[in-house]
Amino acid sequence: MPKLLRINMSSQEAKFEDVSEKYLPLGGRALTSQLLFDEVPPQCNPLREFNKIVIAPGLLSGTNAPSSGRLSFGGKSPLTCGIKEANAGGICSQKIASLDIKAIVVEGMPKEKGTWIAKVSPSGAELFAANELAGKGTYEVTAILRERFGSKVGVICNGPAGEMMLAGAGIATNDGDGNSSRYAGRGGLGAVLGSKGLKAIVIDSPATFGAPVKHKERFMAAAKKFADILIQHPVTGTGLPQFGTNVLMNVISEAGALPVRNFSNVGRYEHANDVGGESLAAIATARGGKATHACHPGCVIRCSNAYPMPDGKVCSPVEYETAWAFGPNLDIKDLDIIAKLNYICNDAGLDTIEAGVALGVLMESGAIAFGDSQAAIAALSEVAQGTPAGRILGNGAAFTGKAYGVTRVPTVKGQGLPAYDPRSCKGQGVTYATSPMGADHTAGYAVTANILKVGGFVDPTKSEGQVELSRNLQVATAAIDATGLCLFVAFPVLDNPEGLPTIVEMLNAQYDLALTVDDVITLGKNILKTELAFNAGAGLSKADDRLPEFFYTDKLAPHNTVFDVSDAELDSVLER
Amino acid sequence: MQIELRVYTGLEKYTGSRHGELIPVDICGTMTIADIMSLYNIPPAEVTSALVNGRHKELNYCLHDGDRVSLFPPVGGG
Repeated sequence: MPKLLRINMSSQEAKFEDVSEKYLPLGGRALTSQLLFDEVPPQCNPLREFNKIVIAPGLLSGTNAPSSGRLSFGGKSPLTCGIKEANAGGICSQKIASLDIKAIVVEGMPKEKGTWIAKVSPSGAELFAANELAGKGTYEVTAILRERFGSKVGVICNGPAGEMMLAGAGIATNDGDGNSSRYAGRGGLGAVLGSKGLKAIVIDSPATFGAPVKHKERFMAAAKKFADILIQHPVTGTGLPQFGTNVLMNVISEAGALPVRNFSNVGRYEHANDVGGESLAAIATARGGKATHACHPGCVIRCSNAYPMPDGKVCSPVEYETAWAFGPNLDIKDLDIIAKLNYICNDAGLDTIEAGVALGVLMESGAIAFGDSQAAIAALSEVAQGTPAGRILGNGAAFTGKAYGVTRVPTVKGQGLPAYDPRSCKGQGVTYATSPMGADHTAGYAVTANILKVGGFVDPTKSEGQVELSRNLQVATAAIDATGLCLFVAFPVLDNPEGLPTIVEMLNAQYDLALTVDDVITLGKNILKTELAFNAGAGLSKADDRLPEFFYTDKLAPHNTVFDVSDAELDSVLER
Repeated sequence: MQIELRVYTGLEKYTGSRHGELIPVDICGTMTIADIMSLYNIPPAEVTSALVNGRHKELNYCLHDGDRVSLFPPVGGG
């Protein structure tokens, strides 16, 4: 029987309990959102004792299902003040699932300020005082804990940004090489962990693929079929392994949807090619790094990379949204600078997207100039130092905008917009406005049909068809987020009618169920309903499902379009 | 008449250029994207997205003087 682990920071106890009937069919985001709805008062202060962090592997995590090692982190977000699910790869999901743990819940708050770590292993769970780790960057903390507990352990931790309770703080997990660079980035959950004084959770599990499977042969047949489906699709089988996610830089720029200089009124960057995936793969390979790399064992897509930097360190990975945030968004055209800014975030414990959007707002204010790489590095370095300017920046784009008198602030529900301009990628704009997560590109990745011609084509420069596109993707994504599968399985699933039935077959074989594809769609809808209900309780309303004003008034070149999906249409996406 | 051609993400093996490098191509009145691709023996099956001035077009789209044409194989990310 699977267990729930509660780490209570008020009573300083780590205790296991049986998983109640209600939660048995849930995993990943389905479980984090339901547990949060049931146990966290939606109006609570996200940085005090009534908020919780729920960490849950997906339903398929820890099995031989390909690309199934994703881990969901949930909590009330100090950035959006609504519900948050942030999702990371790395090695921890499969280890937690192999210990037959359905979720880890971090709750309460210590009476005195301090620093603790928790360790979970086959022999149980313990909490240790760890004041010597206070203030340390994630790379050092991960190295220390791997030295202390073994090189195969998983380490979930925050950096100084989270300890300072800054709303741009994410939660880091490690890959098999020990890089603390697989991030549950969005929404400030690193600050929630910091508010509870828990610096790290060490996952010590001898098994990676030890999650129980009821019908093993049937499962293996479905898993093999799913692996073939992933390998045969050109995006997951060729494009992503060859060039990684940063392969998007050129096509988004050519399509005129690349935000440049804090979402200015041009959607194409003259230096996109110098900071795109083709260039990155060539440089990484030439320097002895990796152009293809798996963030977790058993991933057949292997879209990650390892980028060696001039100072001898390696930034792994450099992803598209990060390359955009520190590249075109800041008018920086040098991948070495982008990788350096990425590395600083990883170590300080910051979400790279929020940090990049915040830096763009800082540049908009004139405090530092667009394109000034050294000033950007200096400003970002101040976050870990805890200077007042560093704390402002580390609190994200909206906070930075307020502090520096900037009104052109690209956020929804307080969260910074990622790498696609909603004026010429309108389906993505609909997702940014209406997702319960705030401006979140993965929550309903309309770029698939808007620009990549995956799952059909919906003209990104027109408002027609975007509501349905975003809605369908938000539902499907929520369901996939419950399985522990990497969201990139959506590329073949959208194009191959055998994709979703094969996922269902794996679930049925693993748990001895009789689910249908319709059941999976219903799961996705229920997750969204739960999240919307939490947000309503937290005080969010339709007024929060809108884009910032300037997207409606300022035309974006080269297509000269504004975001013109109506309020009524936005309200119909998730039927509010 | 002339168009600007750029190819990306591996298609440059057909043009012998760097990815994203600007290739000016002289065209006559009724040339389509498919005609440009034949000049370089780029197989139609390998091009998922053909953008003209940033908009998706079918391969039988007729080109105009000054068009910016970019060709991509299947790509994805997120």
